[in-house]
Amino acid sequence: MFSLKPPRPFFRSYLLPQPQTDDKISSEPKIKKLEPVLLPGEIVVNEVNFVRKCIATDTSQYDLWGKLICSNFKISFITDDPMPLQKFHYRNLLLGEHDVPLTCIEQIVTVNDHKRKQKVLGPNQKLKFNPTELIIYCKDFRIVRFRFDESGPESAKKVCLAIAHYSQPTDLQLLFAFEYVGKKYHNSANKINGLPSGGGGGGGRSIAGSGSSQKTPLFETYSDWDREIKRTGASGWRVCSINEGYMISTCLPEYFVVPSSLADQDLKIFSHSFVGRRMPFWCWSHPNGSALVRMALIKDMLQQRKIDQRICNAITKSHPQRSDVYKSDLDKTLPNIQEIQAAFVKLKQLCVNEPFEETEEKWLSSLESTRWLEYVRAFLKHSAELVYMLESKHLSVVLQEEEGRDLSCLVASLVQVMMDPYFRTITGFQSLVQKEWVMAGYQFLDRCNHLKRSEKESPLFLLFLDATWQLLEQHPAAFEFSETYLAVLYDSTWIPLFGTFLFNCPHQRVKQSTKSYSSTLRGMPSSLKNGVISDQELLPRRNSLILKLKPDLLQHTDSQHNEMEQYFQEWFSKPVDLHGIILPRVSGTHIKLWKLCYFRWVPEAQISLGGSIMAFHKLSLLADEVDMLSRMLRQQRGGPLEACYAELDQSRMYFRARGPHDASATPDFLSSSFPFSPVGNLCRRSILGTPLSKFLSGAKIWLSTETLANED
Amino acid sequence: MSREGGNQDLSETVPRLPGEMLITDKEVIYICPFNGPIKGRVYITNYRLYLRSLETDSALILDVPLGVISRIEKMGGASSRGENAYGLDITCKDLRNLRFALKQEGHSRRDMFESLMKYAFPLAHSLPLFAFLNEEKFNVDGWAVYNPVEEYRRQGLPNHHWRITFINKCYELCDTYPALLVVPYRTSDDDLRRVATFRSRNRIPVLSWIHPENKTVIVRCSQPLVGMSGKRNKDDEKYLDAIRETNRQISKLTIYDARPSVNAVANKATGGGYESDDAYHNAELSFLDIHNIHVMRESLKKVKDIVYPNVEESHWLSSLESTHWLEHIKLVLTGAIQVADKVSSGKSSVLVHCSDGWDRTSQLTSLAMLMLDSFYRTIEGFEILVQKEWISFGHKFASRIGHGDKNHADADRSPIFLQFIDCVWQMLKQFPTAFEFNERFLVTILDHLYSCRFGTFLFNCESARERQKVMERTVSLWSLTNSNKEKFKNPFYTKEINRVLYPVASMRHLELWVNYYIRWNPRIKQQQPNPVEQRYMELLALRDDYIKRLEDLQLANSAKLSAASSSPPNSSQMMSHLQTQF
Repeated sequence: MFSLKPPRPFFRSYLLPQPQTDDKISSEPKIKKLEPVLLPGEIVVNEVNFVRKCIATDTSQYDLWGKLICSNFKISFITDDPMPLQKFHYRNLLLGEHDVPLTCIEQIVTVNDHKRKQKVLGPNQKLKFNPTELIIYCKDFRIVRFRFDESGPESAKKVCLAIAHYSQPTDLQLLFAFEYVGKKYHNSANKINGLPSGGGGGGGRSIAGSGSSQKTPLFETYSDWDREIKRTGASGWRVCSINEGYMISTCLPEYFVVPSSLADQDLKIFSHSFVGRRMPFWCWSHPNGSALVRMALIKDMLQQRKIDQRICNAITKSHPQRSDVYKSDLDKTLPNIQEIQAAFVKLKQLCVNEPFEETEEKWLSSLESTRWLEYVRAFLKHSAELVYMLESKHLSVVLQEEEGRDLSCLVASLVQVMMDPYFRTITGFQSLVQKEWVMAGYQFLDRCNHLKRSEKESPLFLLFLDATWQLLEQHPAAFEFSETYLAVLYDSTWIPLFGTFLFNCPHQRVKQSTKSYSSTLRGMPSSLKNGVISDQELLPRRNSLILKLKPDLLQHTDSQHNEMEQYFQEWFSKPVDLHGIILPRVSGTHIKLWKLCYFRWVPEAQISLGGSIMAFHKLSLLADEVDMLSRMLRQQRGGPLEACYAELDQSRMYFRARGPHDASATPDFLSSSFPFSPVGNLCRRSILGTPLSKFLSGAKIWLSTETLANED
Repeated sequence: MSREGGNQDLSETVPRLPGEMLITDKEVIYICPFNGPIKGRVYITNYRLYLRSLETDSALILDVPLGVISRIEKMGGASSRGENAYGLDITCKDLRNLRFALKQEGHSRRDMFESLMKYAFPLAHSLPLFAFLNEEKFNVDGWAVYNPVEEYRRQGLPNHHWRITFINKCYELCDTYPALLVVPYRTSDDDLRRVATFRSRNRIPVLSWIHPENKTVIVRCSQPLVGMSGKRNKDDEKYLDAIRETNRQISKLTIYDARPSVNAVANKATGGGYESDDAYHNAELSFLDIHNIHVMRESLKKVKDIVYPNVEESHWLSSLESTHWLEHIKLVLTGAIQVADKVSSGKSSVLVHCSDGWDRTSQLTSLAMLMLDSFYRTIEGFEILVQKEWISFGHKFASRIGHGDKNHADADRSPIFLQFIDCVWQMLKQFPTAFEFNERFLVTILDHLYSCRFGTFLFNCESARERQKVMERTVSLWSLTNSNKEKFKNPFYTKEINRVLYPVASMRHLELWVNYYIRWNPRIKQQQPNPVEQRYMELLALRDDYIKRLEDLQLANSAKLSAASSSPPNSSQMMSHLQTQF
């Protein structure tokens, strides 16, 4: 019915439905199926045949036979066998069902069960036994297991060592992005810059007002910042170019926004006093003129007061009402990155690795003791308080953090998602990630730990997506995107094709790559829209914010806390303005675990033909139908329906009626894990059988290197 | 207040049902746990307590059916000091408390206290429950919803293996069972009488549901009277075998004893027990570990402690865990899933019992039936399910809820039906398109479980209801729901025939039903209506509008066409097409 375009070096929606006319298509690939599907620049470095991929632990009856390959991009398992219990209709454009990108590998464990040995494989390590089993622990919570009973022992060993070697590169330049970018862009360089719309729209017909025709600003240029100033109506702020060529700071963008009253010359002088020379820079302005600003600590103790005063005065001057500045010391009020990492590790252990039934009884208290939800809540709560300062108290807010590159990213972006409906569109959200994370110097390389040697790993970006999910869950109609979009965005941090999440700062990216690189955020995953919000409604209507401003009732003498409580209570007592501010409810009953993201690979937790996707499916079909009807009306003609279907924008919604005769029966592949398939992840029991924890007796907790390294 | 004395005018503004009478009214201070003291006027009728705020900046209204009241206490004395120390403290069955402060002079609360005691607990004053005074008229008769013969016919009964017996027509065999029972064809009424002697309270195994294809059945009963000495009863053994053989199955009959095994053993001491392997060769018994009514009552009490009036904040999840409420929900659901799975896979017929077969047994059979039979997921189907498995089979609503009874500490009270509705809600949540009804429907059922406005949940069993002529003298709750169906419909409902629903009974998915248990707290209340649902409704309306406009357009076009040329218009054909395709 419609053609799939070959994958481009764009994020796009890398999940797309497979063409439905599969008769021809499915018979064809069968012949070449045992050949890996390779991307440009991808090469196979090792492979082994007659490998068994384990599907269940208590039985081998569902296991798949095939070839395991290791390339410079991924490990791939190629099989002739169909999936045991599920024919999956949606596929990932870049990765096969059994593929794991090398950057997504967290830990590699080899086992020899005859000799009762196991070893965690680091890079350049030797393996003294021939492995009978390989277990891959992935960063996205998957656990994949292969058995080598029938394969050549030497080649099995080689493939394990290859995986260990290639998944733990010693240098950034060894990541596949550099190979891939080189090849791909070389061949079609002219196309990249010439792309009109970021690659999202299907067939060039752009829908009026649709987010998919908008380009995500990357904030690499002067003009992107300038447009953002104008968009938010921020007077008293200007784009500053003193960091052109990264002359001042290597962890700031080349262009950023500062109070108009601060001269370049002063900024240059001040910059020396800040950690990392990260002087204060502007994030966003409320229509009432209050600004959100990020700032690193002033390390120069002697100058501290003076500089601080100058900066605050300048920010006050930039405020149309000359309002005061509210400073928020994030290091003192929020959990630090180590605590967040510790919570994440516990959460991961809880979600994936312990036998399902054993964790059931104490599930709630175990979940609580990971502290993950507590941290999600802390960030939401703190951000909501800053919303109050900006909106109700008319104060400019300065986020202070030692380096200003971690917690600040999270808080600054959460505040903006809550306050500005533009950031709740897909384009807006991507521009926000670009503005507050990529360009602001969030250290993706270290925090994601792509080179697997950093002690600095911390899942702040995931925490941000999780907190955004909480907002989405509470106000689904206020967002253009769906939770699948957020999960896919998280996954793309582990796919080394996109330059977006590879570097510690913009300067590093420029330095590392004189070539062009691809950007995750340029593309438009328009099929991940959530359907709750319609395009027309979503066009950022800044006026709605302005209208919300109430007469100033702020001069009460009550304690600030009571006022804030009152502000929140009042807000929650009114119907939500989808084009205005949205606030999270943060009590224990409201902050929930993001099940799609954390349970999607756990077969026991999958509700087949259930979950919110079922309602979403119906909503999608209806939204498309309404869209089609409105086109017909607009064109004022009663032509044959088929013609209208052909015109339907193909990338509009996740689900769409495929033609006038499409039975709207619920597809049988839907589940609470959709569009991800837990089948093929390590299942701790056969889906229909009784729970057994046979295998995991050896790997009961998340394997730590210390406990296992000595065991070979 | 200038309104003072305008009693009659004011009473006009108090909603009243036909048959409802104003008893008294009084100025009080309502001590709202969320917003502090609010001055208001309270009106007490023979059906409700109604409070309207007298403060200009508060639009607060309380509208509480007296049936929901479980306990009324006086707080403070005439000489108590302190602000608002003298008044009434009312404990409700729906997880809230109401506290009113009155003026201390002149026994001002006596009147209110006495009216409340009298009309909230009419049984102690030889007064009728309000349901018998209610003169509401609806255009649908809810009592007609359930007709056992029709329901069994829908299931394809009687058939070659199962017959309908009228042996209990006058409730002589078993006074807590319905008049109509379905039993194996081969078993004579005399056999049934002998089996009855061996089952607690004569509640013999009878059919609840039969699988339309594989003909396996769900059968319910009470525990066998085994006792300490391990008595046996040939007739009972033969009877269970007859049940097993109705679908010519070779495998054993599965018996699910809902209780924890310890409890089942303990029941031997009081003459009860369970089917032993020796006596029942062709049966396989497993225990489902569901606790008794007392445990459930205590668990719900703990839930109330952590949600009312304030929601436990610092350790919400572990506090929730320590109530064990969700764990109990999980066990009930798990049990029902096992029953449903046995039957739907055709592996074997299932017999379910607990001790008396009116609490846990009703939960298990009705939930399993809800999973197996999509008919019960419609509004009327669900009403029939409740009517059949709960009301007709003698779940002791009167004792469990204590309608009109002042004995709030009665050990017979227990939230068993609430727990069932909670399980249904969990399923609703996991399968948003599978049910015709919405959350509001469930909340409405629970509200009227206590309200005493309808006769539906009154009395313990069918025989008592018949004696009291409940069907003639009261209105059915289903009259209300079925004459307002749109309000209770789930817009996402997709009709499906014969899909078995298996919810995931895991703590990872079970949730506290916030919109019910914490609905009084304005800070917790979730958005109503659900925005996704709202959006869907808007789109539906938009679609209808577009279709109508297109139709008009095409009519105009075809008129033009037929006027201009000879080609036959096919627009009507096309439009019907357009309306049916989705």
